[in-house]
Amino acid sequence: MMGAVLSSGQAAAILFGTFFGLMFLRVPIAFALGLACLPIFVIEPRLTAQNLVQETFNAFNSFILLAVPFFLLTANLMNVGGITDRLMKLSRTMVGHFPGGLAQINVVLSIFFAGISGSSTADAASQSKIFIEAQRKEGYDDSFSVAITAVSAVLAVIIPPSILMIVWGGILTVSIGSLFLAGIIPGLLIGLVQMATVHVYAKRRGYPTYPRATFNAFAVAMFVSIPALMTPVIIIGGKIFGWFTATESAAIAVLYAAVLSLFVYREMDFKGLYGALLDTGRLAGVTLFCVGTASAFGWLLAYYQIPKVILAGVGAWDLGITGTGIFIAVVFLIVGCFLDAIPAIIIVGTILQPLAVKAGMHPVHFAMVGIVSLAFGLVTPPYGLCLMIACSVAGIRIRDAIKDTMIMLIPMLGVLLLVIVWPEVSLILPRLISPEFLK
Amino acid sequence: MISILYRVLNVLLATSVAILIIPVSLQIFSRFTEVIPHYIWTEEMARFLFVWTVMLGAAVGVREQAHFDVDLWPDMSPRVNAGVKLIASVAILGFALVFVWAGYEFTRFGWNRTSELADLPLWTIHIAWPVTGALWFIFQGQHAAKQLRIALGGSAS
Repeated sequence: MMGAVLSSGQAAAILFGTFFGLMFLRVPIAFALGLACLPIFVIEPRLTAQNLVQETFNAFNSFILLAVPFFLLTANLMNVGGITDRLMKLSRTMVGHFPGGLAQINVVLSIFFAGISGSSTADAASQSKIFIEAQRKEGYDDSFSVAITAVSAVLAVIIPPSILMIVWGGILTVSIGSLFLAGIIPGLLIGLVQMATVHVYAKRRGYPTYPRATFNAFAVAMFVSIPALMTPVIIIGGKIFGWFTATESAAIAVLYAAVLSLFVYREMDFKGLYGALLDTGRLAGVTLFCVGTASAFGWLLAYYQIPKVILAGVGAWDLGITGTGIFIAVVFLIVGCFLDAIPAIIIVGTILQPLAVKAGMHPVHFAMVGIVSLAFGLVTPPYGLCLMIACSVAGIRIRDAIKDTMIMLIPMLGVLLLVIVWPEVSLILPRLISPEFLK
Repeated sequence: MISILYRVLNVLLATSVAILIIPVSLQIFSRFTEVIPHYIWTEEMARFLFVWTVMLGAAVGVREQAHFDVDLWPDMSPRVNAGVKLIASVAILGFALVFVWAGYEFTRFGWNRTSELADLPLWTIHIAWPVTGALWFIFQGQHAAKQLRIALGGSAS
């Protein structure tokens, strides 16, 4: 900061002004973040574009982020290897006879999927392909199908394992094991309110239902799915017992899914494998490149001490834990409308951390408020990746699906509020199972 | 030419994702078994390969126009739409040139250096930046040319 030409205010105006201007011109977010840094490098004599390259390099040169391609690959292997099919059959025997059976299956499958993969975008991509066309055939409205597929996909980052928890834990130094445990109850609660929402929709709009499956069918489906359902136990257990690190747990998930696909369910061929690998590389490249430019952007914010200036006023409010939690959630919900979750953690999570510490929030509580809020950001326009993916598969415009998405978000926001005002919702499981994580 | 380049990149990308799993698996197995020694370079190897995977993926993403943007515009005629997209293309092309230029410096900087653990020459990783920048320029240039054609001569609406 010593001897910087620009003041914090000027630098903030340039960074945010350029970013939002370029975003408005439909420059992809990843490039807009990088381009927004350039004027600073021209103006500030101490900084050059070398800093941009170096910061993106530092961001990618990270063992933690490796978990992202691994979880994407796990999801893709599940789809080509027949794991998803088995879990879908199991879901059908469990909830198919509820009103709106197929949509209920959509939610329950997302819960299972969330326990294996940690990527919401992968969930949205694969479930959109499975459900939207099928729901259309059964007479569900497109906007409803897109909305429920997108909002149920966010469970993947709330229910462990989760990419967001790994990134959050790595960047803000919180125990990832305890975050995994903390996410279980909020995640299941959100799944539950989604099922309730589907129930109300189905009753009012007369969506179809399936005949109740026999207990026998359920038992068979359950038995077939047991190897797949062991995945979360292995991943979360291994993380908690310290057998492997977070990134390694993601690699274990890949290996386990590959073994199931190749030797147990035996549905994967070479073409399927190649497709899964390529798809993983593409999605990982696009989402992670954005992390690189976001890191450079965040680095410049820190260089000019902009977070300190922004929060100088807020710190004086003295909000208490609940007030601070609500403030943090609102900030993340707004940021989530414009940014993907990982860059948002890098840029905004680090900004808000001192505030949470000052209010006396437990780091795990803070993390859960942040992660759940950012997960909701995956379905809020204009930049909600899960909603964008579901819409593009369905071939409808985002603005046509907004209304149903927002309606479904309301009960989910209720759960978020519960997570904020009642820290024990997140903290009780880590406290019971591994108190040493909470210090 | 460009589509061959694209196909080669696809194969490289899928391969690098597949290889990525190897050093991490080695790392886990070496900890729990005596069969293989505990290599110290696995972690660094995984990171460097990961850097290349991300950069290759970002290059392929430009070709497929898969980098996500925010669409706040109302429905417009194809010509106006192409015009707006052309502006974004120019921005991406500019960023690509910055990556080529700054990446070239970055590669020179790493020329005589080696990595901490595996003793790899650093330029082999640093060169991912100018290479990616060049690939963006080629792929986005193709999109820009098409957008320009539509914006200038497209339908009369």
